[in-house]
Amino acid sequence: MSFFGRALAILHKDLKAEWRTKARLSPMVFFILLMLLVFNFSFDLGGAALREIGPGTLWSSYVFASLLSLSRSFTDERDNDALDALLLAPGDRGAIYLGKMLGNFVFLLAIELLSLPFFALFFNLSLGFFLLPLLAIFVLGSACMASAGTLFAALSNNMRLRELMLPLLLLPMILPALISCVEATGLALANDCCEKLFPHLQMLGVYAVVFTVLSLMLFEYAIEE
Amino acid sequence: MRSVSFSCLIFVVMLVALGAIFLWVPTEKEMGIVQRIFYFHVPAAFSSFLAFFLVFIGSIQYLRTREDKWDRLALCSAELGVIFALIVLITGPLWAKPIWGVYWRWEPRLTSMLITFTIYVAYLMVRGYGANSAPVQRISAVLGILAFANVPLVYYAVDLWAADQQLHPPRNVELEPTMQYTKWICYAAFFLLLFRLIAQRMELARIEKAVALLRQKLIDET
Repeated sequence: MSFFGRALAILHKDLKAEWRTKARLSPMVFFILLMLLVFNFSFDLGGAALREIGPGTLWSSYVFASLLSLSRSFTDERDNDALDALLLAPGDRGAIYLGKMLGNFVFLLAIELLSLPFFALFFNLSLGFFLLPLLAIFVLGSACMASAGTLFAALSNNMRLRELMLPLLLLPMILPALISCVEATGLALANDCCEKLFPHLQMLGVYAVVFTVLSLMLFEYAIEE
Repeated sequence: MRSVSFSCLIFVVMLVALGAIFLWVPTEKEMGIVQRIFYFHVPAAFSSFLAFFLVFIGSIQYLRTREDKWDRLALCSAELGVIFALIVLITGPLWAKPIWGVYWRWEPRLTSMLITFTIYVAYLMVRGYGANSAPVQRISAVLGILAFANVPLVYYAVDLWAADQQLHPPRNVELEPTMQYTKWICYAAFFLLLFRLIAQRMELARIEKAVALLRQKLIDET
């Protein structure tokens, strides 16, 4: 089986498992709804400050939800020692990373898209042209979080205090991408597109590529038993 | 003996640096006496980046060779890098309060330094609490590489984010020659101190490991 064939096989397995259990998507979307409630009472979202803090609340909820979702991607494999079986498979282990990363990317993007209507509703956003740049930001933002997050999920999987270590490690690392996500979302919501938006999208693209390449190189050491 | 004479050299260079900072170099005319903190702030910043680079080198070499000494280099450099970064983050606000009127502003240089600092504190957290023995060395080596690769991204993103509120003095300010010489002496003092402390800390880490092995052997025998 080729490198990409194996990666796609793992992606297929993760998607099928999710389709049968719905263990990640529905709780995460509900979690984001709850985060919105918390933010609403913390910041009075209905007020005039919406444009200022809207993108921040959006991405804060996504980041916290994705931390929960990412930590599942390798802990699920611990049951019945499924991870050992994956590692026993011959060939480059980068394929395991790529498959898992693509799976996380699909989940994160799906979580973001599914919870977008809540934001639109509670923030009183009328849907319009900004959806197009917003989609680009979501795709690139999810790619950033999935590329770094999958490697850190694999790293923290072997650690003591696993649940605590993933956010401690991932949050400072993901900050450059998060800064650009929030800024770009603010620009998109203000319909201030193209010129100012592009450098942020570029930044997200570079981040995703750098972390994907580094992770492919380092995954073998991250997962080694 | 060699380490004693090296320590003496550092002592002398530090005395010269202190003399230059407080007795020789003229007071800056706009900022006044508080500008002298610059001679600690800037060399500390470069020392911390040098230390983080050593973490990167140590991590790569550890993954390649699996020799303990490289892991020790990474660990000890990370600890000292964090301490020097802390010096930067403390001296910065002390300078900023009289000059800017506030201790902290969320502007590029400050924000990037703070993020870099948190990344390496997280690295040390893993070493302290994450796991024990062999896996932690491997995991932290991967982290040490990623952390360093992330530094340019942090700087780029933060610059993009707050480009319009740059108050921090730029890196290539024209300095009066006396100030320039004082700066170079301070660089020398800080770099020598950094290398000395890393060497000392590595030796300590080696002894710690040897003691732990001996203790284990003793427990196994009894």
